Amino acid sequence: MKLALIDWLIILVYLIGCLGAGLWMRKFVRGVEDFAVAGREMDVNLGIASLAATELGLVTIMYTAQLGYEKGFAGATIGVLAAGAIWLVGRTGFVIGPLRAAGVMTIPELFQKRFGSRVRWLAGVFVAAGGLLNMGIFLRLGGEFLVYATGLPPQWLEWVMTALLGLVLLYTALGGMLSVLITDFLQFLVMGVGIVATSLLVLWTIGWSNLVAGLTAAWDGTGPGKMAAHPFNPFHGSSFGWTYLLWMFVFQIAAATTWQTQISRVLASKDVTTARRMYQRTSFYFVGRFLLPGLWGAAAFVWYAQHGGLPAELNSLTAMPHFLSTLLPVGIIGLVVAAMLAAEMSTDSGYMLTWATVIYNDIITPCLKRPLAPKHQLLLTRGLVLAIAVFLLFYGLWYELPGNAWDYLAVTGNIYLASVFTLLVAGLYWPRANTMGAAAALILGALGPIAFLILGKKYAIAPEIAGASSFALAAIGMIAGSLLGSPPARTIDAAPSASTS
Amino acid sequence: MNTVFILGWGVLIAASIAWYAFLVFYVGIKAGREIREMTDRLARKE
Repeated sequence: MKLALIDWLIILVYLIGCLGAGLWMRKFVRGVEDFAVAGREMDVNLGIASLAATELGLVTIMYTAQLGYEKGFAGATIGVLAAGAIWLVGRTGFVIGPLRAAGVMTIPELFQKRFGSRVRWLAGVFVAAGGLLNMGIFLRLGGEFLVYATGLPPQWLEWVMTALLGLVLLYTALGGMLSVLITDFLQFLVMGVGIVATSLLVLWTIGWSNLVAGLTAAWDGTGPGKMAAHPFNPFHGSSFGWTYLLWMFVFQIAAATTWQTQISRVLASKDVTTARRMYQRTSFYFVGRFLLPGLWGAAAFVWYAQHGGLPAELNSLTAMPHFLSTLLPVGIIGLVVAAMLAAEMSTDSGYMLTWATVIYNDIITPCLKRPLAPKHQLLLTRGLVLAIAVFLLFYGLWYELPGNAWDYLAVTGNIYLASVFTLLVAGLYWPRANTMGAAAALILGALGPIAFLILGKKYAIAPEIAGASSFALAAIGMIAGSLLGSPPARTIDAAPSASTS
Repeated sequence: MNTVFILGWGVLIAASIAWYAFLVFYVGIKAGREIREMTDRLARKE
C-alpha cells in the first residue's frame, strides 16, 4: 500500500513536534552532567517512558516479529524472561542500587574507584566497542521495515535513513540527555498508540481461533505452511529448550544490570528508590516488547500460509512489514509508520548519547593530563555524538555487511556483558576483588567467546554453551586473579558524593 | 498441555495490550507533569 496524504501529514506533524521539543531543551544544558545524565533530575514516570522508548527500537520490532514468524508465540519467551530479570533487579536493587548511590556517570567510572584507572580505560573500550558494533545494524533493519511497510522504492532507503539520523543527531548533539528524555516521552506515546492499534487490528483481521488453528496445523503438518519449532511450548526440543532458556535468564540478569543504555536511566534518576521503582514498573513492558511484534510475525506466517505461501522476494524478517502494509487502512498506516519512526529515533538518540558519554568519560578523560574546561567538555561530547552518527551511516547503511552479522554481533555483545557484569558484581559485593582479578576477568571474558566462535564453526557448539562459558571464564579470571594478587587498597564509597548526586 | 500454553499466551497478549494502553495514558499524564517540574528546577538553577 502507498501512503495517502493523511498518512504523510501524520508523519510530518510527529517529526516537527519531536524536533521542536528536542531543540527547546538545549537551553537548559549548562555542562556535561546536564548533557549526559540530565542533571540527575529524572523522576520515575519520565524514567519509565524513556527506558521503554529506548529499549524498544525498530530493530527490536523486526527481530521479535521474525521470532514470532519462525517460532510462533513461544518466540516471545525471551521477553517473559527479560521482564522477570528486570523486575527482580528492581525489587532487590541488585547492582543498580549501589551503582546509583556511587554517583558515577558510566559503569567504567565505578571501576576507577574500585580497580584503578587502567581497568576503567580497558572496560570503557570494551563497553564502547561492544555497544557501537551492536548498534551498527539498527539503521539498515529499520530502513527495511519502512521500505516494505510503505512501498518506498528500495533505492531511497539510504537517503531516508540518513535524513532521519540527521534529525536525531540535531537534537541529541545540542540537548543531550535532556532532549533525549523529552523526545523519548513523545515517542513513547506515539509508539504505544501505534503498537496497541496494530495489535488489535491484526487480531481483528486474522481472528484468534484462526491464528491458533493455523499455527497448530503448520506445526503438526495438517494444514498449509510448515513451522519447524513448536509454536506454543518453548521447552519443547524443537523450540528453545530448557538449557537455552536457563542461560537466557542469566543473560537477561546481566543485561539488566550492565547494558549501559539501560543503566544510563538508572544513573539519571533522582535517587536509588526512583531507579528501583522505574525498573519494577517497566518490567512488564518487556513482555509486550517481544510478544506484540511476535504476534504480528505469527499472524504474518498464518496469513501467507493461507494465501498461497510467502512471496519469493520476502523472507521471515521482511514478511511482517509487508503483511502490515496489506492489512492497515489509510490513516492507520501513517500512525504506525510514525510509531515505528518513533521507535527508531528514540533508540538511536539514546544509544548515540550513551556511547559518546562512555568514550568521553572513560576513554578520553583518563588520558588527559589536565581536565578540560566545561565548555570544551561539552564541545568534545557533542563532537563524539556526531562521530558516532557518521560511523553508523558508513558501518550500518552504506557498507554492506558480508554474510550473517548476527552471530558475530551476539558474540561481541556477550564479551562486553560477561566481563563487565563479572567486574560489577565482584567490585560491589566481594571485598577481596582486586585490580589483577579485574584485568584477568576482562581478558578471559573476551578470549573465551572469540575462541568459541572460531571452534564453534568446526564443532557446532550450542550458543548457550558458548555464552555461559564466557561468564564462567570471566568469573574464574576474577577469582583466581584476586586470590593471587595482593588485597585491594580501595573500596567503593557507596554514599552519594555532593558533586555528582 | 497445548491448551495450557495457548491459554497462557492468550492471557499474556491481552494483558500486554491492556498494559501498553494503560501506560500511554497513566505514564503520559504523570511524565508530562514531571517534565514541567524538571524544566522548572533546571530554569531555577540557571
